[in-house]
Amino acid sequence: MRIRAAVSAALASAGILLAGWQSGAHVAGTGSTAAAAAAATSSGTGGGSTTGSSGPGSSGSGGSSDSSGSAGSAGAAAQAGTYAGSAVQTRFGTVQVQITVKAGAITDVTALQLTDDDRKSVQISNRAAPLLRAAVIKAQSAQVQTISGATVTSAAYLTSLQGALDAANL
Amino acid sequence: MQPTFRPSPAEYPAHSASNLRAPALKSRTFQCMGTVISLALPAGATLDDGQVLEGATAAVERVFSGLDAMFSLYRSDSEASQLARGEVTLREASAPFRARFADATGWGLLTEGFFTPERPDGVLDLSGIIKGYAIDQAAAALQATGVEDWCLNAGGDVLVSGSPAPGTGSPWLAGLVDPLDRGALLSGFPLGGTGRFAALATSGTAERGDHIWRAGAGRTEFRRSEFRQASVAGLDIVTADVLATAIVAGGRPMLNWATDSWDIEVLAVLGSGELLATPGFRA
Repeated sequence: MRIRAAVSAALASAGILLAGWQSGAHVAGTGSTAAAAAAATSSGTGGGSTTGSSGPGSSGSGGSSDSSGSAGSAGAAAQAGTYAGSAVQTRFGTVQVQITVKAGAITDVTALQLTDDDRKSVQISNRAAPLLRAAVIKAQSAQVQTISGATVTSAAYLTSLQGALDAANL
Repeated sequence: MQPTFRPSPAEYPAHSASNLRAPALKSRTFQCMGTVISLALPAGATLDDGQVLEGATAAVERVFSGLDAMFSLYRSDSEASQLARGEVTLREASAPFRARFADATGWGLLTEGFFTPERPDGVLDLSGIIKGYAIDQAAAALQATGVEDWCLNAGGDVLVSGSPAPGTGSPWLAGLVDPLDRGALLSGFPLGGTGRFAALATSGTAERGDHIWRAGAGRTEFRRSEFRQASVAGLDIVTADVLATAIVAGGRPMLNWATDSWDIEVLAVLGSGELLATPGFRA
């Protein structure tokens, strides 16, 4: 959930940059510095954090108070490549997201930092996904030491695999 | 109760003494809580392993029968039955009873009501948590007797310690019943040894019919579940057992909530027989 939040925050920040750029295109000098400032703060903390969302406020106010703009500089800020998000702690370790902006659009979202204290590190999602029967861990009844199944009644136990296993180990 | 059914060695060749691949085990069973509980220990670990197994089984049985006497709704003299008849109120119930009620209520909150200690008819039924709790308490009793390598199976819910081949670190291998053919295994999962998970619980509609009711969104009712069976491997048996029940009751939203929120591996079987699995179940 946090990862998704981080990614959506990153996307939101990028959207904010675009909004700043567009408003910058309509407004004048100070407006363009506001847009540039928004881009600067975003490049520092990027997608995940609140600094990104302070961007729109400043560029918005700049846009409302001024009347001429420099589309060139604002445009340059928006296409300035990659923005790193803040590191977020998740159950799978620390995750940091980086977005790549080209020509005012996000072209890539990558995970920058994935560390963990155990071997699950590269695995961001533990979601259950469709899996073919042939692709699950296989086990022959002759190899297992115990059987897990939906609760076996006492009557059903006698003909169950666990019953057979126990009988063999008496 | 000892099963009267004995398979012939020809039917299960790997369990005969001649096969060296399968670790030799000794097991004892008894009947409680409407099911059969099996305790298996590595054979030949000590000279008196027969006695050790008898003592360990007795310790486990004491735990189970003590809890069954208090929580079974099938015993008219149990505290649970007295409560169901309205002879006592929850406020007057014993401290252990109220503690389990608190556990179950807490799990109800953590699973958004998909695990619930209340039957659709409003009767308080803690049996959904008691078997897992009994396994957990039995583990403590086994630890107290000094047995380190064991596998405890209560009606399909499994908790292990150590290894079937003591000292090797090799895990116990648990088979998962195929709900479409309960004489066959759908999958396997390693427990204990040097691995992370010690507990494996399976809930489903295959063995006892639709005994799990769907709850949530203010409704409690019987409804056919999206999942036929859900197996959960976890660090402890109560978590695995409760989440397996909740996933069958709650379907995919609960499955995703569980895998996002707890350190577990899940293999779920849909009504159509298709599988949903976390990476840990991938071969």
